[in-house]
Amino acid sequence: MPLLEFRDVYFSFGKTEFIREMGFTVEPGELIGLMGPNGAGKSTLLKLAAGILTPRSGQVMIENREARSYSGKERAQRLAYLPQMLDMHAPFRVGELVRMGEYSYNQKHHFTIDEALCLVGLTDKSAAFLADLSGGEQRRAYIAMTLVQGGRLLLLDEPLANLDLRYQMELIRLLRRICSENGISVLLSLHDITLGGQLDRVIMVKNGGLIAEGHPAIVLTDEMIRIAYDLDLVDLPRPIAAYGQFIQHVMC
Amino acid sequence: MNSEKRQIAVNAALLLTFSLLVVAACLVCGQQLLNPFRLDAETFHTLLGLRLPRIVVALLMGGALGVSGAVLQGIFRSPLADPYILGISSGSSLAVSCGLLFGTSLFSLTAPTLAFCGAIATGALVVVLGRGWKGLQPERLLLAGIGIGFFLSATLMLVMTMSRDDGLKRAFLWMSGDLSMTDWDVVPLGLTFVLAGFALAIARRRGLNALTLGDEVAHSLGFNPSRERLLLFLAASLMTAASVSMGGVVGFIGLVVPHVVRRHVGSDAGIVLPLSVVAGGTLLCFADTVGRTVAAPLELPAGVVAAFIGAPYFIYLLNRKKNA
Repeated sequence: MPLLEFRDVYFSFGKTEFIREMGFTVEPGELIGLMGPNGAGKSTLLKLAAGILTPRSGQVMIENREARSYSGKERAQRLAYLPQMLDMHAPFRVGELVRMGEYSYNQKHHFTIDEALCLVGLTDKSAAFLADLSGGEQRRAYIAMTLVQGGRLLLLDEPLANLDLRYQMELIRLLRRICSENGISVLLSLHDITLGGQLDRVIMVKNGGLIAEGHPAIVLTDEMIRIAYDLDLVDLPRPIAAYGQFIQHVMC
Repeated sequence: MNSEKRQIAVNAALLLTFSLLVVAACLVCGQQLLNPFRLDAETFHTLLGLRLPRIVVALLMGGALGVSGAVLQGIFRSPLADPYILGISSGSSLAVSCGLLFGTSLFSLTAPTLAFCGAIATGALVVVLGRGWKGLQPERLLLAGIGIGFFLSATLMLVMTMSRDDGLKRAFLWMSGDLSMTDWDVVPLGLTFVLAGFALAIARRRGLNALTLGDEVAHSLGFNPSRERLLLFLAASLMTAASVSMGGVVGFIGLVVPHVVRRHVGSDAGIVLPLSVVAGGTLLCFADTVGRTVAAPLELPAGVVAAFIGAPYFIYLLNRKKNA
């Protein structure tokens, strides 16, 4: 049973179309990347999946039931969403923040607070204020909160934005581990093509429509990148090839 | 219990003990120092008939303002939000001042009733104007409150310039937070609405914590941000209205008390809200006692004294945070 399914979803605001005839599924344990140029509709797709937006037509299904039929608490027990702009200066200690994951009262949660903190590597930072952590640690604290929430699907909007290379790779490794060891699925939007190559599947969108979907090796081809980003690969700077090899080496 | 929780428990216990000592001191101190262990008829009357109602009203008012400030700072995600920035007190002041300035004879409960109605009507207007297509958004609500507050303040000034002299002084004292005219009569109505607002705020404490993280994260945690904001705004409005109706407008407590409490016990609303009641009530009680003691027989309004005491401490806290 897919955890998330988009069935011919259409979303517009006013006369502007944001999402057109969108259809894809997310299966248990998958780490999936939503890619595409700015304004392609990645964030809108994640908000539709999270129930923050409602489709004009079509259906967003969570565990084979229409998303809008869930109460807030029921939905929170199944999925968690983190926007791109998180409040990194919220006046909470890490332990207080992570404890908020318990608000959904999910009886089938996968992690206790201590386990979630351990998994994201913040065991010794429980008493620290969120604002005193580094950018990577702050992201991981929020992810720990979503793990305590107990859903089987994490929706992350550009979690790698504003992180340096080390923190980006730490986060991808962490998400990979969550997926493979705990059967949780992660759908994240990202821009880095090389990091996209480390995921199970990539969904490429442009102008609100799906233009390609599948294994990164199939989707992230020169031709597809040229189509998605209106970019000729000869424009790319030379160091990118070496960077790609470096990422592959480290991730393996 | 880990060290973080232990520290919070110790700080909370210290605050409670300190508050009890301050309230006890407020009972015996005043224009005349009373000996509670030698109660004659006159002392008994002064304690129960004069000082105790003032202390109870000050505790209720200060507590209500402290919690309202904590709630509003959370739902607006702004450290500057307080009951007075949202126009609620302006509406209340306008209603009472109109009654005091133009009314020929006011019954003892007319002014509190006018204050309460003015505050609730203003709160409702702020909600109506602050509602956008995405529901109750903090920025829109805040701007609506500030705009209405300015308009009502300007109207109040206009009304005061047209008023008779005797009503003017009473209206001025009301707006300075003067507790000298309070008695037991205002307590039942005030207590009822303070308790109702506090119970609602405590019941929505998790929503308040979630809103502090932003609407989208609150939604992800299972809350309806607009609904939570509306309920919490209602709670803050009820408490502010009750406070103003009991003793007039007292500024600063709603702004400073939540910051002081959070500084010592963290930001979890389940802890901050009850302790804001204690700290806010204690501060106003202390301010009122100082106001009726230092320049006796002249009485300084409690709101003015609270600002004189609170502002330096607030600046000290800011500097300590900056240097940390």
